[in-house]
Amino acid sequence: MSTAAERAAQLDLVARLKSAYPELPDAPPPDLLDHDRITAYLKPVHDVGGEPDTPMKYENKQYELWEHMTYVICEVLAWRGIWLSEERRRIGNVDVGRAEYLGLPYYGRWLLAVARVLVEKHHIGLTELSERMAEVKARYAGGLDGRTLEAKPKSEGDGSGVKRNEHHKRAVGKGDPQVYAGQAGQPKFKVGDAVVVRELPVIFYTRTPEYVRGASGEIAAVAYESPAAEDETWDRPATPEWFYVVRFNMSQLWYGYTGTTHDVVQTEIPEHWLQAAK
Amino acid sequence: MTDHDHDHDHDRTVKPMVDEITDFEVLEIALRELCIEKGIFTAEEHRRFTEFAEQIGPTPAAHLVAKAWLDPEFKKLALAEPMTASKEVGVDWMEPTGFGTPSDFTAFQILADTPTVHNVIVCALCSCYPRPILGNSPEWYRTPNYRRRMVRWPRQLLAEFGLYLPDEISIHVQDSNQKHRFMVMPLQPEGTEDWTEDQLVEILTRDCLIGVALPKAGVTTNVITDTRQAIHPGTAG
Repeated sequence: MSTAAERAAQLDLVARLKSAYPELPDAPPPDLLDHDRITAYLKPVHDVGGEPDTPMKYENKQYELWEHMTYVICEVLAWRGIWLSEERRRIGNVDVGRAEYLGLPYYGRWLLAVARVLVEKHHIGLTELSERMAEVKARYAGGLDGRTLEAKPKSEGDGSGVKRNEHHKRAVGKGDPQVYAGQAGQPKFKVGDAVVVRELPVIFYTRTPEYVRGASGEIAAVAYESPAAEDETWDRPATPEWFYVVRFNMSQLWYGYTGTTHDVVQTEIPEHWLQAAK
Repeated sequence: MTDHDHDHDHDRTVKPMVDEITDFEVLEIALRELCIEKGIFTAEEHRRFTEFAEQIGPTPAAHLVAKAWLDPEFKKLALAEPMTASKEVGVDWMEPTGFGTPSDFTAFQILADTPTVHNVIVCALCSCYPRPILGNSPEWYRTPNYRRRMVRWPRQLLAEFGLYLPDEISIHVQDSNQKHRFMVMPLQPEGTEDWTEDQLVEILTRDCLIGVALPKAGVTTNVITDTRQAIHPGTAG
């Protein structure tokens, strides 16, 4: 049971969590939002490259048991055809929204992605999950008190009726992206070609970073064939295309770059995001 | 500052009086139980992957680079067919599922430093890292801070790791943000010419293979050594 004061205190805590422009009211009328701010709100939140930040103390971290178990669950779900890594990356790194993205531990988001995909794909009911969480919590009421954290499934299902993707069978013995080899035709670009990254509108998901959109670069490698992340992430058939490692000169890419004129950053970009430089 | 001027941060440090189960622990156990009960995966599959994940670490990567330093033919193989070369240090990228560790994919490339090029890796979108051969990425590699800054201010950030590179050396930042995984092959340092593979492995720290440090005779530890303790630690990582 919580007290009225505790409930109010938690609401006060949530109210101080800000992930909006402070100069705008909540849910602003359309005339207060310009294109740049709409783009900022719609930006996939994982795409942090180039955002200003100041030095901080870097640390290693010992793993929590739940973090390690979370990593394992995520990989086993992919192994058993419940999702692709590209679905996990979107659900856990972008769909969570800015407050959770910046506010939760790294593996907290992975774990929420597990819950999300199992509920969204109708493997687990949300009430069923909440009830089980309450049950687990009750098992450890009063603290661990020397006990270890342990999953205690009540049974073991045979899994024959579970809906699984094709990928987890198709990719065996080939690997990913090799499973898509030979499906994208001839690559449009070759090593050394000058290219410009297109400025396609972005909603929901992409792995083409904002910091290179509109910038000129050079093809450093013709990498592999694969569906683009924004197509592969929705658990539906997607057409493979060529990926390229594209090299950008940092002194041209970044306004006020203070390094040398020959420092470069390279990133991988799918073909439909690139056009030949004029 | 206020009269509350001391250096611990009790507002933001979770230190429960009783050893309570945490929110994420509750969720993880609940999900694992339901998955097994519904046959989404078996307890045996979960156990097998756990065992696989507990044995990965940076040692094979260090051996791979040491071998490449000692054997020019192996270096050629490592750069041309890095996943074939990985097998010679005991890493099969297709394990344990037959199509690899799903989050790491099976497209590995090694970036060789030269006297005029220094490579460093980052994933500005998440934490892509050559996990099968280098183990789990360090916590700092996953921070938004490292990811924000490495693609834009590499010289400043490397300096914070104590790595000051002269202007004659170009920095190549590899933002590994899709399906490729990258690792750096630094140059063999002076004074190690007659060393054995095992001696070389000692100085090939994880940080050297990320590219935030250079190998050096006598330096066998990572740059970042401070380690935050877990509340309920597991056995890996």
